[in-house]
Amino acid sequence: MPEPAITIKSLAKSFPPARSGWRAFLQPFEKPTAVALDGISLDVRRGEAVALLGANGAGKSTLLRILATLILPTGGTASVSGHDAVREPRLVRQRLGYHAGSDIGFYPRLTGRENLRFFGRLNHLSSDTVTRRTNDLAVQFQLTDALDRQVRTLSSGTVQRLSLMRALLHQPSVLLLDEPTRSLDAIAAAEFRRFLKNEILRGGATSVLFASHTLAEMEQLADRIAIIDAGRLLACDTVAALKHRCRASSLEDVFLSLTGHAPHALEPPEDGAE
Amino acid sequence: MIRLLRELWIFCWRDLSIARSYRSPFILETVEALFGAAMFYYVARFVDSPQLRGSLPQGGSYFAFALVGFVFFDYLNAALDTFDRSIEEARNSGTLEHLLVTQTSLPVMLAGSAIYPFVSTTLRIAVYIAWGAILFDFPLRGANWVAVAAVLLATLLAFSGLGIISAAYLLLFKRGNPAKWFLLGVSSVAGGMLFPVNILPDWLQIVAGLNPITYALEAMRSALLGGASLAGLWRPVVVLLGFAAFLLPTSMLLFAWSLRRTKTTGTLTHS
Repeated sequence: MPEPAITIKSLAKSFPPARSGWRAFLQPFEKPTAVALDGISLDVRRGEAVALLGANGAGKSTLLRILATLILPTGGTASVSGHDAVREPRLVRQRLGYHAGSDIGFYPRLTGRENLRFFGRLNHLSSDTVTRRTNDLAVQFQLTDALDRQVRTLSSGTVQRLSLMRALLHQPSVLLLDEPTRSLDAIAAAEFRRFLKNEILRGGATSVLFASHTLAEMEQLADRIAIIDAGRLLACDTVAALKHRCRASSLEDVFLSLTGHAPHALEPPEDGAE
Repeated sequence: MIRLLRELWIFCWRDLSIARSYRSPFILETVEALFGAAMFYYVARFVDSPQLRGSLPQGGSYFAFALVGFVFFDYLNAALDTFDRSIEEARNSGTLEHLLVTQTSLPVMLAGSAIYPFVSTTLRIAVYIAWGAILFDFPLRGANWVAVAAVLLATLLAFSGLGIISAAYLLLFKRGNPAKWFLLGVSSVAGGMLFPVNILPDWLQIVAGLNPITYALEAMRSALLGGASLAGLWRPVVVLLGFAAFLLPTSMLLFAWSLRRTKTTGTLTHS
């Protein structure tokens, strides 16, 4: 049996309590007491798309950020293509593309093309490869015209698409997407889903773990859905199996049945942060 | 090695491209340098006397002494600011986490982000000195340029360690390092910027002896104004390299620890 693309075992993460004023100086040294992840175990197979479904603060972004080597776990292990995110962060970063689900993260006075060149070169792509990949992806994302404009002049949705291009530039085998269509309009979101399904997932070489608040998006893209609540994994299965298990007619009812939350808990926060 | 140079270059290219997107900053800085050099020239004319000239360690005019002190103090400023600013800008623009998920290592990012600021500081200094030489008779004929370059390199290495420590503090506590302002304040008084260290009280001379800026300015004036050879400058250069040998690895360790701590507390992108 081939090794899973992502392996998460008993993953736990707690944060120190937030402090303000002079107590903020003590925060980096305080004991972690606020539980964000509580012993999550999950595998993502090669070529598989798994969606993370949970209310705000459930731990979805924390999980993705641990895999992206941006946060260190308190316990358990997380690995990408067999490489441990804590002990081998560089090897993990070689294999993943990360989209933080926001429309910031670029140098506003550089053009989109210049930004992609910068990040592509930091991922050790040759100049020719960056140019070729940028041009190919620009066609797929319909960004050819916007690519040579300064990022500060681009709309939020365009920057978000640029961010997705950056995540895909070095052809990673694992894609981590945190609310990938949050700032996209309906047409761009649909186009992105089509692209992800046809160009990324159909090839079977790339695995995707993504968090979203859009249930239809999950049903369309995900092979399995992992339902997380208060840092715990409640279930991970296909939509059909989850519906059968909960005797529910919709994914929303499944979520309600498993977590006890009202459906509006799934709506994205106003400021966009989890 | 080639990959490392490419990685360093791409940071320099980024900063150069951003700087180029702003119009006319170089012209403004050139004009500013003219006024700065003129100010030092007229202050020097006002206070200059044979007695004052005789009390300067390298001899020559007070104008040359003060201008070198003022412009090379900028290196300390740049070193303490560069690393802080690159972290702060990356965090505020949201690029920090995207930089950290690339395959480029953190020390390379820090070094790469420092190249352009140091180069632009060097150019700014050169413009000041050029105005001084063209309009105000700044003595450049006797300068030993090899020694100047060596002192500059040793100074950059010594000061960079201080800058990286300051960045580690910023990363951890999310606010500017008060020790940085203290160091700049102490250095402006007890570093030999506008007056020789030997006129200070004994205890302040001891403080000056513990500060790399003192050795940097002493060596730079000797090379630029006195034409001292590298062999004649071995003492301040060795002291500067000693500071670098201690501060650079220490600062990198502190920075790595701060980054790890920040990843543990989950505050990497917090400001």
